[in-house]
Amino acid sequence: MKVFIVPPNSLILFDLVERYGHEPLSLMGAIHEKVVNPEIESPPINITPEDVKKGLKYAGIEVPSGIRGRLAVWGPLVDQADAAIIMEEAPFEFGCVGCHRTDEMVRYYIRKRKIPFIVVRYPNNEEEAKVMVAKIKEFLEGLK
Amino acid sequence: MAKEFETRMIVISPSSSVTPDQVTRLVHSLGLEITVKETCYGAMIEGGKGDVGKALAAIRKLDPDRIFTKVRGFPIGDTRRCRAHHGSRPGFTQLEKEWECLRLVDKGVSAAVRNEKVCEAPRPQKLPVKRLKEIIDEVSK
Repeated sequence: MKVFIVPPNSLILFDLVERYGHEPLSLMGAIHEKVVNPEIESPPINITPEDVKKGLKYAGIEVPSGIRGRLAVWGPLVDQADAAIIMEEAPFEFGCVGCHRTDEMVRYYIRKRKIPFIVVRYPNNEEEAKVMVAKIKEFLEGLK
Repeated sequence: MAKEFETRMIVISPSSSVTPDQVTRLVHSLGLEITVKETCYGAMIEGGKGDVGKALAAIRKLDPDRIFTKVRGFPIGDTRRCRAHHGSRPGFTQLEKEWECLRLVDKGVSAAVRNEKVCEAPRPQKLPVKRLKEIIDEVSK
């Protein structure tokens, strides 16, 4: 099954999803398809008119363009997802830094889609890490 | 093209005794058509999805619970990211943070392999307003 991860660039979540037999939907995978496309120059000139339309599907025109731009990439991933894993209470430098509103909108969109999801806490010690991995394992094995 | 090739980051947990050099040498010895680049945190490999999958399976065997991997958006040596070309590295803070955290996560992975029973500690509750007022009164006396 396809599992969306929040933060979508997390190594830990990506690895755990793959380790327990599912396909992680990550930001890196989506970006890879964009940056290896020969028609695209280089960031920040990597947005196409099609991306703008995609962004408008997930956020209204009055929403700042940065949020719409991010949602143009993240939104289609949530659409494809069969499940999601959300990590909370992480330090500020963990995850996609810069736009908390996009994070909030993605979480809202996951809930709105009514797909199974789990919320785990960022581990600060060994015991919390064991709890986090055990929860993710149980959730992913339950998806089969 | 985008569907066919894949770039992967291999990140070794700080608690592992495996070195980036070992990973790189192993990948070279496999004789697969993939590019490998040794890095401070592990290695990056790039090639056809099938070959990358075979290499990953072999790399994981070095230390299954302590070697982590994720795909990378930009290809190896891409001038927009490569330091040799003064590329920007916006993902570095994330990588650094997660690399630090891997020493905890690998314990969790090992515990999960052993099916170890774990119990979640209760979350610390917020201080009730009544108690806060009492503390203010006590301090301001």
